[in-house]
Amino acid sequence: MLSALALSSAAVTQQAQSVGSEVAPLYTAYVACESSDEVYVVDFDGRAAVVREVFEVGYQATEIEGPHGLTIGPDREFWYCSIAHGKPFGVLYKYRVGSNELVGECELGMFPATMQISPLTGLLYVVNFNLHGRMLPSTVSIVDPDAMVEVGRTVTGAMPHGSRLTASGDLHYSCAMMSGELYEIDAVSFEVTRSMQLDIDLPKNHASAAKPTWISPHPVDRRIYAALNGKDQIVEVDTEKWLVTRRLDSGAGPYNLDITPNGELLVATYKGAGAVGVWHLKSGREVKRVKSSRSVTHGVVVSRDARFAFVTSESKNADPGTLDVVDLAAGEVVATVVVGLQAGGIALLEP
Amino acid sequence: MLTNLRRCLVDLAAASTVFVLGVASVAQVQKPAAGGSVRVTPAEVVLPIGESLQLKAELLDAGGRPAEGRLLFFSRARRALRCSRSGELSAVAPGTHTVVVRAMFGRERGPEATVVVTVPHPAPAGIQITDLPAAVFTGTITPIRATIVDKDGVARDDIRIAYRTSDDRVAAVDDFGFLHARAPGSVGVEVSGGGLSQETVVKVVANPVTELTVTSTHTRARTGDVVSFGATLAPAAGVRAVQERAGARPPVSFSVRAMPDDTLGNAATGQITSTGRFVAEKPGLYAITATCGSVSDTFMLRCDERFETKRKLVKVGHGPVLDVHTSDLWVWEGVDGRDYCVTGTWGANGDAIFWDVTDAARIERIATVTVDARTVNDVKVSEDGRLCIISREGASDRKNGIVAFDVTDPRKPERISEFDDELTGGVHNLFIHENYAYALSAGRRYDILDIKNPRAPTRVGSYQVFEPGASIHDVWVVDGIAYSSNWRNGLHLVDVGNGVKGGSPSNPVKIGDYAYPSGWNHAAFPWKSEDTGKFYVIAGDEAFPYGLSVKDNPTYPRGWIHFVDFTDPDDPQEVARYEVPEAGTHNLWVEGDVLYVAYYNGGLRVVDISGDLMGDLYQQGREIGWFLPTHPQGVVPNAPMAWGPQPYKGKIFFSDWNSGLWCVELVEDRGQRR
Repeated sequence: MLSALALSSAAVTQQAQSVGSEVAPLYTAYVACESSDEVYVVDFDGRAAVVREVFEVGYQATEIEGPHGLTIGPDREFWYCSIAHGKPFGVLYKYRVGSNELVGECELGMFPATMQISPLTGLLYVVNFNLHGRMLPSTVSIVDPDAMVEVGRTVTGAMPHGSRLTASGDLHYSCAMMSGELYEIDAVSFEVTRSMQLDIDLPKNHASAAKPTWISPHPVDRRIYAALNGKDQIVEVDTEKWLVTRRLDSGAGPYNLDITPNGELLVATYKGAGAVGVWHLKSGREVKRVKSSRSVTHGVVVSRDARFAFVTSESKNADPGTLDVVDLAAGEVVATVVVGLQAGGIALLEP
Repeated sequence: MLTNLRRCLVDLAAASTVFVLGVASVAQVQKPAAGGSVRVTPAEVVLPIGESLQLKAELLDAGGRPAEGRLLFFSRARRALRCSRSGELSAVAPGTHTVVVRAMFGRERGPEATVVVTVPHPAPAGIQITDLPAAVFTGTITPIRATIVDKDGVARDDIRIAYRTSDDRVAAVDDFGFLHARAPGSVGVEVSGGGLSQETVVKVVANPVTELTVTSTHTRARTGDVVSFGATLAPAAGVRAVQERAGARPPVSFSVRAMPDDTLGNAATGQITSTGRFVAEKPGLYAITATCGSVSDTFMLRCDERFETKRKLVKVGHGPVLDVHTSDLWVWEGVDGRDYCVTGTWGANGDAIFWDVTDAARIERIATVTVDARTVNDVKVSEDGRLCIISREGASDRKNGIVAFDVTDPRKPERISEFDDELTGGVHNLFIHENYAYALSAGRRYDILDIKNPRAPTRVGSYQVFEPGASIHDVWVVDGIAYSSNWRNGLHLVDVGNGVKGGSPSNPVKIGDYAYPSGWNHAAFPWKSEDTGKFYVIAGDEAFPYGLSVKDNPTYPRGWIHFVDFTDPDDPQEVARYEVPEAGTHNLWVEGDVLYVAYYNGGLRVVDISGDLMGDLYQQGREIGWFLPTHPQGVVPNAPMAWGPQPYKGKIFFSDWNSGLWCVELVEDRGQRR
């Protein structure tokens, strides 16, 4: 099956060539290591990845605080990191790009995780994942990153994750992992405008069987994609009709997603399979599957030139995590660098 | 209507929301030339608490002409000043707050304006004077406790209070609000501030005391001993008569003058309370003076070194763990009569290490168990020595929870169960007490698990501190009372089977609580003093004000031990501390009247807590001994980071974050070098 899908890789190659350049650009990946309270800064020049800097984050030396989500501001002057565990609330840290100087912090909700800044509102939207056990509705915190203050908080479902905005920045999407829902928030009004149950089965015990873990809005049209970690599916939602239009059977445990800027390819991490899947969205076919260098594959971000997917893998116990760079055209890992324990969140700074 | 849209004049008092306008025009919006701006009226706002105001905003192009675009309103202090998305403000709390009005064009953030909103304190509504006696005595000083409050009874601490009396010859008030009674008579005491004033008439009575004798519970003491002083007033009959007439007894104040043996620039060396409780920090003579009006008496007290015989801690054995950080420990007697210890690991492989410590001079590592985790922060063993439970954080599946082992043979721990339901955020600490396990759930609460059948634990109860932003860090259970340490919410005592409040594991009932300002409460250990009958909960801090250093350099924590007298659980009082300078506390243990503290970078500390307690026990020389665990190949080389102590069969075991398991013992210090 995979070999058949590989035939479709022409689309990948074509896309990569169309944006190729003579001089390999430098990409800088920020990788959050959740169980060692570190952020790794990794440079990739198109061929080799090297760790440029490692630094500790948090404020309690002997507590694991869990840096989880990362994002870089639209102006590329600052990057942001959510710290999941607190007393009990997590925090958002703001660092200056380059010097990595801590310049601000803001208390959020329980276990703040993934986030993104809207180019439209300039505000940062971060889900309070609240991994702490009880299946209660949680929230999305809305932060003014200039002043580093929370300016709004919107209630969604249980264990919200995958905080992503449309390209226009006017709509925010997240999924509630344990209540199985998709939420749409108006980025300007801060209100939930629509929600949808992504789970077609009855919840098991008190948790969704589908366990949606990520949302990725299509950069061009009005579709969004959700990773159903518990169902080994990626679902496509037409946001105009507000309907699930496709259910794509994926590798085991799809976890995070990203889409190339032209909207042709979707890259999914398979946490259960220790692999990355590259999907041709128009055909709905997985055109490449690449084993990641560690068994617990987590985060992914695709470069703006659509050449590379930067993938984090957690592994287990004392085995450190890794950052793999996947050449989307070749469908192979072209660079791997070892980072800290439980590498998860990732953000990419590009030229 | 169209004109209004093009102007994009956001008159939100008339239109229900700006976004209705904005959304309607989003397809047509044109970004104004560089230099566009947002004009908001009013530009500055003063808004009393409880009142609302609608902002009006207008987007202008570079030429100052109205332009199209959407506008976003938000408050940078949303809990003090609410701001709807349409710009309606509601004042909640005093202060100077900022509201942002930001323009948006298509997919871009545009210019913005900020509006400063001042929410004034509510006007002062009254002055409350408390505890001012109706009569005071000549020659005495009485504090006036006054508070200016607003209409809701909230104190206006921002307003300076002024005092004066109607006749300084009878009584005068100093700048700090103390009333100095000078001559018999009536005097008006006026307290003013915030445009208000209140006068109270105070009667100054001739002080009947002509003679005063200081009394003491001790004639000679040691540093750290709490000595209670009193005063006998004479003539007794005259004092009684005046007291009956005036309704008050002439007050006695106490002061101390120290004459320490060490005169080489020694600092203040003793303290005395207003009730005459005194403690010396350094050996020497102390002159305790009691004063009533113009009469005084002085008592000379000799305080000696606390310990006639010095002791010290010496190493007995070391179980090195040099590749990963070590966390907590538990030492127990196994069912085979040998002595064992289990230690956890931190930020590593999810290991718990078992040791045979029967011969503490030759600590033997006998087994290692590995669970899916990065940190096994806590380890506990049941009273019968058969069951070990360890905590998990950093599990690859993020389910965490606890894992149980049958340790009937600690050389072959058998994994028998795990429990992670609703403990997925990570279990940081746990405890075992009479067939129940107490497991922290990600700092939010502790769950109580029935482990009578340890192969199938079941949740029977849960306890949470229901305060905004409350967090639980640790729990320790003794005699059916759970003592949780809750950071800024301090200590909570909960009946989980003691019966004092009818509680049980399935129905935990709070007995009392106590919090202190730093918010650093990290550990707790209950202790009843046999000497005094007082019941203390000894609380430990954890704080890292100077940042992190996990790998390559020593870290410099801070914090101290708080002694909270819980004899009356409805009125706990923090009475003493033990504070090692420039170091930070972690876990603690009390056996008899000796306190053992793992003082992180300060190593292991052993402290005499016999007798009554007051002041700083460190300064009083109550420390019996200390030991700095270091190893040149430690995770951080030569950096003490003592984690947790446990006295056991005459020795003291403790874990060190950087170097593993240690055993030390107290011996007489004959002055020889180690």
